[in-house]
Amino acid sequence: MLDQETVLRRFAQAVEEAHDELTRLDQRSGDGDFGDNLRGGVRAALTRFETGGGTAFGALGEVFLDEVGGTSGPLLGLLFTEIAHADDFAAGAAAGLAAIQRVGEARVGDRTLVDALAPAVDALGSGFVAAAKAAADGAAHTAELRARMGRASYVGERVKGDPDPGAVGIALLFWAVATTAEPDAEVPSPV
Amino acid sequence: MALPFHPAGDDPVPAALRGFARAHADLVELHEKPAHLVARHRNPGRRVGLVSGGGSGHEPLHAGFLGRGMLDAVAPGKVFASPHNKQVLEASRRAAGPGGVIHVVKNYTGDRINFGIAAERLRLEGIEVRRVLVDDDLATESDETATGRRGTGATVVVEKLLGAAADTGLGLDELADLGGRFAAASRSLAVASRAQTSPHTGEPSFPLEDGELEFGVGIHGERAQKTVTRPPLEDLVEDMLDRVLAGLPDGPDDLIVTVNGLGGTTLLELYAINDLVGAGLERRGLTAAGGLVGTFVPALDMAGFSLTLTRLEPSWLHWWSAPAVTPAFPRTPEETA
Repeated sequence: MLDQETVLRRFAQAVEEAHDELTRLDQRSGDGDFGDNLRGGVRAALTRFETGGGTAFGALGEVFLDEVGGTSGPLLGLLFTEIAHADDFAAGAAAGLAAIQRVGEARVGDRTLVDALAPAVDALGSGFVAAAKAAADGAAHTAELRARMGRASYVGERVKGDPDPGAVGIALLFWAVATTAEPDAEVPSPV
Repeated sequence: MALPFHPAGDDPVPAALRGFARAHADLVELHEKPAHLVARHRNPGRRVGLVSGGGSGHEPLHAGFLGRGMLDAVAPGKVFASPHNKQVLEASRRAAGPGGVIHVVKNYTGDRINFGIAAERLRLEGIEVRRVLVDDDLATESDETATGRRGTGATVVVEKLLGAAADTGLGLDELADLGGRFAAASRSLAVASRAQTSPHTGEPSFPLEDGELEFGVGIHGERAQKTVTRPPLEDLVEDMLDRVLAGLPDGPDDLIVTVNGLGGTTLLELYAINDLVGAGLERRGLTAAGGLVGTFVPALDMAGFSLTLTRLEPSWLHWWSAPAVTPAFPRTPEETA
């Protein structure tokens, strides 16, 4: 079984370290609040988990759906909630991807967090490390894409060269999952 | 120019919601955290709850249409901003019937995503949800964008017809299908002679010279794609009627005519416009099977009006004339008895 508490703590630490970079990426294409939203949500989820009990993904889901603003925050909340409700991580991540695509209508190639999440879900059959690598590769690939959805779509070609911050956030989550599940494996950091 | 009468602070919506609930305490109930309003009375035959919502600044939409015969709950966002998914979720929980809940959503990205997230959460709780998307605004019909037509004045027509249909005890799938057909049978077009007043400066939010007309405006202070020289009203209405009729899909010739003020237009003007529309329809051999004249879906105090036409299937007529006991729909049971 995946140790959810360790995943949450590693994810929280990774998000703290990536905060400035996520902010920089979002300033290039959005309104620059993604780093703050992600860090604020993860911090609040850690507090809720430590004081309120329940599961780590349950706490992430509740906080991101109820308290985090913007569009990507509640979309991440859907993913966390599906993982919290599922029997195992792979089934939950697949259900979360489906929910995000039902709601947000983004496809692979649109330069959104789906570009990291979809290949990671596909690779989960080969293990957590493969999924983390697929998420990191997917996030890196968004640097070559022009946005079709969301606010980044308004700035056209100018976002190219840097990855989508939402996709990087997903890659950080899968990095935390892989390094928790297989502490001895080599998992490249996505940032 | 003068500033609007907003209370101190940067968000006038909470006080307005409390004032609305005070004014219509017999019909609606306000819940403040997160903000949503619920109708106090519903037809006992209704099995599916109807929920709508969207940005504020469009009053009486949406809370004005809460009540028997129309909506069961609404989620009001900030001025011109989508409600948070938590507001939609709470409104839907309270409104859901044994058959589930329908979301009436105007076609904007923020509304689609926030209502969509609320719908996902409701499904996780075991509440069935379907969406009726209103996308009537011809000014945003384009093959070049993926966003589609905006939802504007047809929202009230869709909510009226759908509310009456829901009162007959229809199920979720039937209502979602009907709602989609109501929306598909409707098209709108709006013009403005002056922008809405900026709450911060008291000045119009965009400039428009005397003698100019913004042709194809939205309801969030969006400018139109074109500014035209202002024609005489008779010519303007004739042109708008041509365009809306041309934009409508084929169907019956019985039409519901909605002449809607954008907030800064008097009833004296709107009724005169309605007369021109009615005469224009008669010249074309068409009939108005029903109509609405008034301010139903404004953009704050923009000076302008929208024209919405809805093709009415014969079997929908009794839904249009069914009673609606809400703060803002202008038909009471006494009038229709």
